[in-house]
Amino acid sequence: MSETRRKFHVELEALEVDIQAMAELAEHAVGRAVEALVANDVAEAEAVIGADDAIDEMYVSVEQRILEALALQTPVASDLRLITAMLHINLHLERIGDMAVNIAKTYRSIRQLPSSRKILEQIQEMSDVVRPMIRTSLEAFGRRNLDLCLRLNEMDDPVDRLNLGMYQEVAALAGDPATLNWGLRMLLIARQLERVGDHAVDIGEQVGFLLTGEFREFTDASHPVHISPDVG
Amino acid sequence: MRQIEVSGLSAWFGPKKVLHDASVTTEPGMVTAIIGPSGCGKSTLIRCINRMHEEVRGARVEGKVLFDGIDIYAPEVDPVEIRRRIGMVFQRPNPFPTMSIFDNAVAGLRLGGRLPKAELAERAERTLRAAGLWDEVKDQLGEPGAKLSGGQQQRLCIARALAVEPEVLLMDEPASALDPASTLRIEELVDELKEKYTVMIVTHNMQQAARVSDRTLFMLYGQVVEFGPTSKIFTRPDDRRTEDYVTGRFG
Repeated sequence: MSETRRKFHVELEALEVDIQAMAELAEHAVGRAVEALVANDVAEAEAVIGADDAIDEMYVSVEQRILEALALQTPVASDLRLITAMLHINLHLERIGDMAVNIAKTYRSIRQLPSSRKILEQIQEMSDVVRPMIRTSLEAFGRRNLDLCLRLNEMDDPVDRLNLGMYQEVAALAGDPATLNWGLRMLLIARQLERVGDHAVDIGEQVGFLLTGEFREFTDASHPVHISPDVG
Repeated sequence: MRQIEVSGLSAWFGPKKVLHDASVTTEPGMVTAIIGPSGCGKSTLIRCINRMHEEVRGARVEGKVLFDGIDIYAPEVDPVEIRRRIGMVFQRPNPFPTMSIFDNAVAGLRLGGRLPKAELAERAERTLRAAGLWDEVKDQLGEPGAKLSGGQQQRLCIARALAVEPEVLLMDEPASALDPASTLRIEELVDELKEKYTVMIVTHNMQQAARVSDRTLFMLYGQVVEFGPTSKIFTRPDDRRTEDYVTGRFG
């Protein structure tokens, strides 16, 4: 017997290729936005903001094609799981792109203020953790690998720890209003990076659903492990 | 509403074995859809369930079909009585062409002996209502059944099958010759019928199986590959062959 829905399956493969390409752009954008901040490079920040249009266009195109496939092809079984997973992953990647833009814009608004090398190092460290998380989640998707999905939660732990550590670092700037003003924006940037990590975990959850047919949240936001910012 | 329990059922047309050791249990009040490529044994399976298969010259059956615990192939069982209790609707609407709508609806009842006119009228209305056709034909009961549209004719055949008060209704691609609106009407009807009857429906249309059934049975080369809740068969089937068939990777 021969394959009967070849055109549809070719389209699914094409969507997956586009999602992988979009992931590369989004991950790159996060890296470049943090580089712009650390190197105080406003041109790089502008480039990140400008490059987001390409991610947005891909997002819209992927979403439209998925809606069309849902309407016209009525996918079932693994095709249905793949297409709903891609619908979610697409949105997560678009959000990651937006977060890179937020980081770039936040940096642009405070680039004249005095900064703290230690905080910048911490931001860089967060970026160095969340970018591999995005890569891992998409590698899990591409290789259909559940072990990689399950590793994401562990990878996310240092991000949460670094994000909470930022509060102490910024509080230490209290005696210097100009640097404190800068530091408060760094809290926003750290928060964006922490959210990027969360999106990578969410992508892993979607891949887990694709592979097992059961949706399971890797983290339970309503019952988090309590870590007080004060004791960071 | 009764349970059908098929176990180790095999069937032949002459020397050719077309059904291999099939087992399936239907639950009362549920619609079971049977899907699979052409020639996989779907129709043979349901024709074994009301002893229609043996009507074909050279055809035979081995294994068990229990109808509410009774072996329908036991020597003392009357196949005609089985066919009354386990009704069947076929792919093409086949009302008796020269009979009126009314006579078509009660044709099976008349075979069972004479009934008073008033009772026939009452039973005709009840069965036409059950088949969702009454409102459309109540003013033209004397017209020939063949004058109705294809979808109405199929519902008339369903009414005819229901008139003799079966407990199980077997449907062999009941909507495959109908237009989309009539198809949806039949699907709605199946959903209503399951409250009173155990329904098994053979369909080539997988989306129809997904829409109308509670359980789905997937067959391939005369064998039962997978049987389970329809939502599971269409979201995460256990067997790779089911997966490949429902996603159109072969067919």
